[in-house]
Amino acid sequence: MLSELKQQLKKMLCWRKSLIGFLFIALSLSALADEPLEVTVNDAFINVHNGPGGGYPIFHVLERGELITLLKMHTDWIKIKTSRDLEGWIRRNDILLTLSSDGAVPEFKKDNQSDYLVDRFEMGAGFGDFAGAKAFDLNIGYRFTRNLSTELRLAQNTGEFSDNQIIAVAILHQPFPEWPVSPFVGIGAGTMKTMPSATLVQTEDREDNLLQASIGAYVHVTSRFFLRVELVNNYVLTSRNTNEEVKEWKVGFSVFF
Amino acid sequence: MESRFQRIFLVTSLIVSVLFAFSVSVYAQESTDNEDGELGKIITPDIKRRTIKEADLNSENFEIGLFYGLLAVEDFGTNEVSGVTFSYHITENFFTEAAYGLSTLQKTSYELLSGGIPLLTDDQRNLTYYNLALGYNLMPGQVYITKNWHFDTNIYFIAGAGNTNFADKNYFTYNFGAGLRFYATDWFSMDLSMRDYAFTHELFGIRKKTNNLEGRFGMSIYF
Repeated sequence: MLSELKQQLKKMLCWRKSLIGFLFIALSLSALADEPLEVTVNDAFINVHNGPGGGYPIFHVLERGELITLLKMHTDWIKIKTSRDLEGWIRRNDILLTLSSDGAVPEFKKDNQSDYLVDRFEMGAGFGDFAGAKAFDLNIGYRFTRNLSTELRLAQNTGEFSDNQIIAVAILHQPFPEWPVSPFVGIGAGTMKTMPSATLVQTEDREDNLLQASIGAYVHVTSRFFLRVELVNNYVLTSRNTNEEVKEWKVGFSVFF
Repeated sequence: MESRFQRIFLVTSLIVSVLFAFSVSVYAQESTDNEDGELGKIITPDIKRRTIKEADLNSENFEIGLFYGLLAVEDFGTNEVSGVTFSYHITENFFTEAAYGLSTLQKTSYELLSGGIPLLTDDQRNLTYYNLALGYNLMPGQVYITKNWHFDTNIYFIAGAGNTNFADKNYFTYNFGAGLRFYATDWFSMDLSMRDYAFTHELFGIRKKTNNLEGRFGMSIYF
């Protein structure tokens, strides 16, 4: 019976090579595999808040030995359900005061800076000044060792006489990543598209290659959240006789995943 | 086309029923396995051993939302605005929000009074903006409907920068604002907020700093 059904299923899948079907199977299989995540309280008590934040009141206290189900996470808070179906939120770090059914503390990363140093994606935005133009920057990066990371930079600079857009790739080196204020240096290369304002006579868009050298610092704010200050020297390789050097500074923030 | 949809629907419903039958049979198999006498029950404890990792737990830190409201653009009237937001909640207090909005400008008083000399073409009146901002949640609160039934709320302040595009040009724009968020469930929130978009333009021949206020209502889901 079962094999018949399986064969039928296979036939149908061949007949209708639909992505939706595959997705659906994957989803339902993962749903079937889901078991409740249960842990036992292994401390004198754990406070349960009725919202995911320290400002929301504590309305229940879990006792030692109590079995709770972990439902989901929102920022640094975990939603739980007690055996009496009471739902509330506990601090993420309180999970270290519990034991899972194998008798071990659940494997949650410690939420400090040094855990965001390797094998992490970084996303950030910055605002600043590009030789008089207002700069808006986005960067997406990947840190592959403690000290080295690579990133893609996108920038829109809005000036009085012209706007420009930059797309560049850069490598950053951070010699002391564990410092709360940690300096870095970087080099990059990319292209810059310049669009003079329509009100000026000469309105020809041009595209130039550019090289970047930068120096800056990450300032640790909280958990995976950093401020980032950077000074960039852009060396624009123009088609004219002289190359252009443009200084840019920016202040922004970065988040590590 | 219609029959194609019917087929897709049929296939998916069949898959569901097959999977259901399959899981039931697996379950039945398991329950018979456990019934190997009283001794089996004593020797094999009932607890399944399981290691829990952070990745096993679903985290809902991303938020996607739609908003609709009114945007007052200096000299160009108050206009409907709609847009999308995408946010990431970093900690219980900090979040980042990327927004993209669309609006259409009205005629200036000058254009109306001068008897039809247009300053901008219809195309140039389409305004779009994008920005990236950093927000801070404060004053967490709760609204109690009954003694045990409540909704979470919070107030947030937000500031950032981006670009506003109209009249064939980008204007670097700072944005500031505040809002009240109301969580209907853990994963659905409504949001009433104000923003100020500040930028400088030279459309009338002189540099002019403008503050453009927006009031909006948004709905978002967390995932």
